Amino acid sequence: MSDPTENGRDNSGRFVKRAAESVHNLNTPSEDGIHPLSKILFGWTHRKGIGNIIFYVLMVLALAVISVDFFHARHEYLNFANYAGFYGVWGFVCFAFAVIMGWPLGHLLRRDENYYGDAGGPPEGIDPDAPMADDLPAPHHTSEGDA
Amino acid sequence: MPSMLAGLNPGWVLIIAGVASLFITMRQARQVVTIAAPLLALLLLVFAPQNMDLVTTQVLGLKMVLYRVDALNFIFSLAFLIAAVLNGIYALHSDDRIQDGAALFYAGAAVAATLAGDLMTLFVFWELTAISSVFLILRAQTRAAYFAAMRYLGVQVLSGVLLLNGLAYVLKSRGDLSLEAFTDLSDPGVLFIFIAFGIKAAFPLLHNWLQDAYPKATVVGSVVLSVYTTKLAVYALARMFPGQEHLVWIGAIMTVFPVFFAVIENDLRRVLSYSINNQVGFMVCGVGIGTPLAINGVAAHAFADIFFKGLLMMSMGAVLYRTGTVKASQLGGLHRSMPWTTLFCIIGAMAISAFPLFSAFVTKSMIISEVATAGYAVIFLMLMFASAGVLEHSGIKIPYYAFFGHDSGLRVKEAPFNMLLAMGIAAFLCIFLGLPALFPGFGHEWLYGLLPYREEAMGYSHHHLFSFDHIITQFQLLIFAIFAFVLLKRFHVYPPEKRGVILDSDWSYRKVGYSLVTWAGTVWGKAGPAMTAAFFRITSRAYNWIEAAFSPRGELARGGVLNGAMTIWTAALLGIVLLLSFMAVG
Repeated sequence: MSDPTENGRDNSGRFVKRAAESVHNLNTPSEDGIHPLSKILFGWTHRKGIGNIIFYVLMVLALAVISVDFFHARHEYLNFANYAGFYGVWGFVCFAFAVIMGWPLGHLLRRDENYYGDAGGPPEGIDPDAPMADDLPAPHHTSEGDA
Repeated sequence: MPSMLAGLNPGWVLIIAGVASLFITMRQARQVVTIAAPLLALLLLVFAPQNMDLVTTQVLGLKMVLYRVDALNFIFSLAFLIAAVLNGIYALHSDDRIQDGAALFYAGAAVAATLAGDLMTLFVFWELTAISSVFLILRAQTRAAYFAAMRYLGVQVLSGVLLLNGLAYVLKSRGDLSLEAFTDLSDPGVLFIFIAFGIKAAFPLLHNWLQDAYPKATVVGSVVLSVYTTKLAVYALARMFPGQEHLVWIGAIMTVFPVFFAVIENDLRRVLSYSINNQVGFMVCGVGIGTPLAINGVAAHAFADIFFKGLLMMSMGAVLYRTGTVKASQLGGLHRSMPWTTLFCIIGAMAISAFPLFSAFVTKSMIISEVATAGYAVIFLMLMFASAGVLEHSGIKIPYYAFFGHDSGLRVKEAPFNMLLAMGIAAFLCIFLGLPALFPGFGHEWLYGLLPYREEAMGYSHHHLFSFDHIITQFQLLIFAIFAFVLLKRFHVYPPEKRGVILDSDWSYRKVGYSLVTWAGTVWGKAGPAMTAAFFRITSRAYNWIEAAFSPRGELARGGVLNGAMTIWTAALLGIVLLLSFMAVG
């Protein structure tokens, strides 16, 4: 609804315009290519020492959630799950084991990108402005036929 | 609903729309069809009467139930159709008739297979999903996609052939092809069907078609592919093999082994393909347990998975669309230019990791709870391992390496609006499905109300789901696992992302099998002419011998060996034979 003021200007129209401008600004990247919303949502990740903060916050959180087990008994169907700290320890051990196994498995199973002779660029239909359209050299092996 | 509409199969609506899309050249008109058709199909499904044969026919004396809705197939079809709407929105930026048509046809075939009321109808649409979906890979139009599509088609058709073979056995032994569950795997027909389902569900060692083909599809194609085939197989297993104990172990192995591959994989769409394997493992395990709550867990987890996996695949599709790659080693820092995509990806990552208030927390827990109740201690530990593993590869690795980590320096545009809209709706579902019931029917209770065993689901919801124990143990698992990540990163123990391909079971046929066939071809190329020459040598020599003896110019014709003595001896021999003959007669 328009709301004419004394000087004849339309306040709600100005409000809509301002809102449209702020939405536009929020979705228009700055000259360095950084999206304004990124600063609002993830600006905190650029803070100096954020790695340490995350580490210590997680450590405190981990201690807090596991300390509950020392004051509160659970009644699980499987007995071993009732031990204090079972879920935390198992989560930590499993995660670390899966990641550390990445070292030997990487050595064992990783091969050159063109190992099967079919390496190439991205699929059709990507953004024509995509910066990495030709991220690999043309294939030179023919281990999968001559197509 | 008018009876004519009640008999209209939602799957067929999509199939017809898919075929029509192939011929609609006007882009806007096709876009309307790709979204309107799944919406119409959704309406048809929601208002369809349940537990009655809606369309039947007779083919060669075999009764086929083409359309039947019940509590189990309703929830799968519903998820398929909502996903079809989202896929239609996600594809709006592209102008590809074949892709649009194939996506609709494939979704329709999967829905029609789910709504089939007999095994023969299931088989027909089972095959159609294979044939239609291969175009989503081929449309990538790369050399890798072409070969992967051929391998994919071969494996999928093999699954169909095994299914048909099994049906022939079952028809002979049981006399019908109804959807009555099988109990005995020792029947060869049942075993064939089990393996056919296992191929599509990507059982261990039958799984590699998935990681081979899905990451090589188009941006839209891999999002569409991630929804249907494996979940259709989960539905088929839940329908035909509930409580089959082998599935408990198969499912548990499926949850564990992809974790190791996903850690070292560089292609993030391939990481998500391993993640599909891992999540389908939970469902297969639940089918093996087979109790009402476990089957509820299977249906609910499939429903939730379609949206959180779809969302993650969409976010990686958006990254691929804008940057031209999804290789972890080349990405990083994209939150600077793609914050909306980053946000949606994080929501999908939290949902798949089963954070409380996100969807997998309310779905996966039903399966794990039933595993513990049934006393499967080792399986329980395996599923817990897999829960930490999924946090690693889908919960942390995907968002971290694409959007955070080291800054790759890539400054691209945010994903197109249609992609953001599809991701936004999927993200909403990931959160909504995990919310407590603030009022009856809200949040997870909406999903629980759709499950095949509603009372059991509601009982679980009231007594266990948001209990203090459940929430705190889940937080313990997740926070300690995240702490492990931070610790490993801090001490540089986390393996760096490196370029390269990771060998999996497809190595056996892409390298060993291919080399064997090539070798056999080379050997035959040399042995064949040698064998032909030897054959000709032997036959020509034999011909020469025979000709030398019997031809008009041969030795016998010339009487070479018949000299005078021979003539006398021959006459004497004949004389003796005559004499003996007379004596015998006399």
